[in-house]
Amino acid sequence: MKAFNMVLAGVGGQGILLAAEILGTAAIKERLDVRVSEVHGMAQRGGAVVSMVRIGENVLSPLVLDGNADVILGFEPMETLRNAKYASEKTLIIMGDEQISPPALTLRGESYPRIDEILEKLKRFSKNVIMVEALRLAKEAGSSLVQNVVLLGALIATGKTPIKKESLVEALKELVPAKYLDMNMKAFELGYQYVKNLGS
Amino acid sequence: MPDPKTLLENKPGKRALLLGNEAIARGILEAGIGVVTTYPGTPASEIGDAVSAIAREAGVYMEYSVNEIVAVEVAGGAANCGVRALSAMKHVGLNVAADALTTLAYVGVRGGMVVVAADDPECYSSQNEQDSRFYAWFSNIPCLEPSNPQEAKDMVAYAVEISEKLELPVILRTTTRVSHTRAPVVFGKLVKLNLKGEFVRDAKRLVMVPANSRPRHDVLLQKMEKAREMAEASPYNLIARRGKNREYGVISSSSAYNYTMEAIELLGLDADILKLGMTHPLPERMIGQFLREHDKVIVVEELEPYLELHVKAIAKDQAPETEVYGKIGRQYFPRSGELSPRRVLEGLSAITGRKALVNFENLDKRYAEVVRELPPRPPVLCPGCPHRASFYAIRKVAGEKAVYPTDIGCYALGYAPPLNVGDILICMGSGVGTAQGISKATEAPTIAIIGDSTFFHAGVPRLLNAIYNKHRIVVAVLDNMTTAMTGHQPHPGTGLTGMQTATEPIAIEKVAEGCGVKLVKVVNPFNFKEAENTLKEALDFPETSLIVFRAPCALLLLREKRRKDLEIVPLKVSGKCTNCLACIKLLGCPAITLTENKTVAINENLCVGCGLCAYICPYKAIEPAKQCRGGNA
Repeated sequence: MKAFNMVLAGVGGQGILLAAEILGTAAIKERLDVRVSEVHGMAQRGGAVVSMVRIGENVLSPLVLDGNADVILGFEPMETLRNAKYASEKTLIIMGDEQISPPALTLRGESYPRIDEILEKLKRFSKNVIMVEALRLAKEAGSSLVQNVVLLGALIATGKTPIKKESLVEALKELVPAKYLDMNMKAFELGYQYVKNLGS
Repeated sequence: MPDPKTLLENKPGKRALLLGNEAIARGILEAGIGVVTTYPGTPASEIGDAVSAIAREAGVYMEYSVNEIVAVEVAGGAANCGVRALSAMKHVGLNVAADALTTLAYVGVRGGMVVVAADDPECYSSQNEQDSRFYAWFSNIPCLEPSNPQEAKDMVAYAVEISEKLELPVILRTTTRVSHTRAPVVFGKLVKLNLKGEFVRDAKRLVMVPANSRPRHDVLLQKMEKAREMAEASPYNLIARRGKNREYGVISSSSAYNYTMEAIELLGLDADILKLGMTHPLPERMIGQFLREHDKVIVVEELEPYLELHVKAIAKDQAPETEVYGKIGRQYFPRSGELSPRRVLEGLSAITGRKALVNFENLDKRYAEVVRELPPRPPVLCPGCPHRASFYAIRKVAGEKAVYPTDIGCYALGYAPPLNVGDILICMGSGVGTAQGISKATEAPTIAIIGDSTFFHAGVPRLLNAIYNKHRIVVAVLDNMTTAMTGHQPHPGTGLTGMQTATEPIAIEKVAEGCGVKLVKVVNPFNFKEAENTLKEALDFPETSLIVFRAPCALLLLREKRRKDLEIVPLKVSGKCTNCLACIKLLGCPAITLTENKTVAINENLCVGCGLCAYICPYKAIEPAKQCRGGNA
């Protein structure tokens, strides 16, 4: 199989690394080969964070070639746009709606750009954009902190990845602290159903 | 992070998804290493963290040393008693350790010793992007370069094997894309480790006075000849791919190898690849043979043209007709920043004339249009970070005229507007050092910023220098009670060891007093008025003074509150707000934003309720968003 390339983008603190690790662990459960790239340390402190997950035989590079993402999973609209260079017209873009203003923007006295402007720009790269009300659903599950898992639910529901729902749930159970497992399972289901309902 | 206990499983053949650094931790157990020392630094930190989490059960001794040279000396001491040891650090940590390591090469070791140096091309979390391979070269220390987590694990045992055969320490050099890549890793057998060593007196070998050093230098050079033979036979130096007609030969190592392999497939190049995993000393015969087999050889490597220099020297002697392409002369690959699939693809395209399938020009054009408007999002101090309160007080009291030499840690982020505290930053401890020269040369009020972990690592000798030479500087120790930036490791001020056992914490203020600082104060930066007054007092003091601004890291505090189910009450903007924007212009807190109508709002998902913005608001228009349920003082 050709490598399946995912780019996860957002802001440090949104749980991007955990989401990437869950995807990678699910891939291992399916006996697939996988590479996950992460960023740690200073780069994470409220800064732009990108993690990439590549699944398939003979994947070697942990990084995705520009224009070659199959999926961009955006945790934050501006950061989704910042990573549009990985998209082609075939790319599926799934985007959460939590808007986090970069302090640099606020300092200039500017407010967050309108979401429809960001969508318009994203669609210059790919028409396949799914917006997910990740923040609302995460809070419904119990905490804004589980947006990452809401988005994983949404991603798996599209059926576009080589990862089965069961494997992802198993990986979730393995990596999420037991105390928060119920909340995460709920978050996953809410994200999953959200996308399923879009199709009906 | 998978449960660290996974690393303890004696299940050869088990396949787990591990970070390169976690794989190295597993490698430590598979190599029978008994002593592990480290000072945290990205991208090396998780090696120590993973070992620390399992050290007691594994029977390994692990410590977070006070700095890298101490780490190497502790490991080197143990290794000279026949106990296998490993010391892990980031690339610039190797600068700190170099004084010990370069002469430890003369002394040698008896038990295997590995020094992990994690390079950071692209400076994701570092002050420079130096190439550690040159340390191996000029110290005459063998160097191994894994290209993925599996190799990172396997090479630990291999490094120990080489180390014991040669009686030399071995450098295991990773990069961010090895240390911080997760990939499937197949476990090997666990090896029973030995923590019982024996010191054997042997002054000629161990006491490096000049008369003993001279012959040891020759011994070291003889060892390198043996090492070269090992490189010729190393299972990690191999032809990784054979083309059809050998149109091109490609030599690569480390992260660069992964991009190279994929780029060659994408371009459909007819190329052989020589993959080098042992890169010092280099297998000169093997490289010579490869050069003779090809008219055109391309060297793909990250950062400095280390391999290329050597390959060209070998070519001159063994294959003068072969063209070598890389970065020297005509530059096909960048010498700064990290490589990427695209950078390698474009370099190979330029050399071979083969074109990639992606129309990068069109993509770049569209991308440039959309990101022109996109503000950058560099890392910032977290909401509720005590350093923000300290910086606000410092800047308010000392103002524009003062100079603020700063240091390595989260607080380096204070240099950015609007806090603007941080004027020069070089390396660990340099804030206190440069402050003395600046105050001498300018007589401007000089406030050196340094963190708690950094103070122990590098601050003390600089402080002694300031006191003894009567430099008039204020040392502001921003003490958030942990090594925050690298993932909250303990340090001598925390009262916890790498073995996760309690110990007596060392108080920074006591150290300062003991060194002879005559004005030493401790304040909580969230006691805003007191912090400001204390700083005024220090600025008036004619000699060296030191203030400890002490409050726990906001991330640690937040985690603790969540663990204890304590409520976190964010703040909100009330009707009293006049939109003067003081909170935004003075603090730059990520939780304070502007709404679509340009009015100030606080993001309740980010705010932790520290109260700094409420304190500075001239209209007292910021208040708790709700009554708290108690227990959240």
